[in-house]
Amino acid sequence: MEQLIKLVKTYRLSSGLAERQRLADAIVRLIASDLCAFVFSAIKPHAAEDVSQEVLISITNSLKTFKGNSNGEFWEWCYMITRRRIYDHLRKKKSDRLQPMPHEELLDLVDASAQAAPMTAADRHDLEYALKLLDSSKPECRGYLWNHYVIGFDYGEIAEEQNLKYDNVRMKIGRCLDEAQSLVS
Amino acid sequence: MLGRSPIARFLTMPNKHTDAEAALKKLGQHLRLGWAKKHPVSDKSLESVKNTVREQWEKEQVTERPSKPAPAPAKDKSRKPEGPDRD
Repeated sequence: MEQLIKLVKTYRLSSGLAERQRLADAIVRLIASDLCAFVFSAIKPHAAEDVSQEVLISITNSLKTFKGNSNGEFWEWCYMITRRRIYDHLRKKKSDRLQPMPHEELLDLVDASAQAAPMTAADRHDLEYALKLLDSSKPECRGYLWNHYVIGFDYGEIAEEQNLKYDNVRMKIGRCLDEAQSLVS
Repeated sequence: MLGRSPIARFLTMPNKHTDAEAALKKLGQHLRLGWAKKHPVSDKSLESVKNTVREQWEKEQVTERPSKPAPAPAKDKSRKPEGPDRD
């Protein structure tokens, strides 16, 4: 995925319209599914489509101002913009909050992933185990496990979002994982 | 040789979270993959992105090339102001 940051850096330097449009198109194709999946995991589907669109436009609008130099920094920046758009929407319409993503929806996406790339028996076993871990967790813990492991937020990002200390989040997630493991086994 | 020191025990101790962490991360990867398969980026989204880039580019062209003021007759700064001689 080093390709992504190369595209972003080239975009920052490019001045021609056609070149920028080509680069923005390529960047959006690489990031859209992850970011839209995140939006759809937080907001009800009827609103998520519009918010996803706003996210992609916000990111495109700000590409020139992105200062980082690595894929990690770029993803962090994209997720920060995505979270802001989600919060903006939920501030206006709390009833659109979706939590957690329904189990059937998760299974549906896992099945779709098997169509995109063949899944081994070991993969399937791992995914069933992961779903059991989430299903057995209390809502608060499910949220932490979901955000940290499934979506990929680091402790610092979760701490910032929840107004907690880094170590506090790290320990909470560790405890949640312990608890889920003990319930599943 | 680390022997049976506490450090050795720590280093060789399996991480009890590893399997669960790996499984949850794998779930994340598959959900994104499944999402991309089920919801490829729409033409509408790509068109909006294209328009956004164009609008931004047009704004830049305006700010980078400010409209030049109408050409004024060249003035000789060393020349004294014109007007009747008050001496």
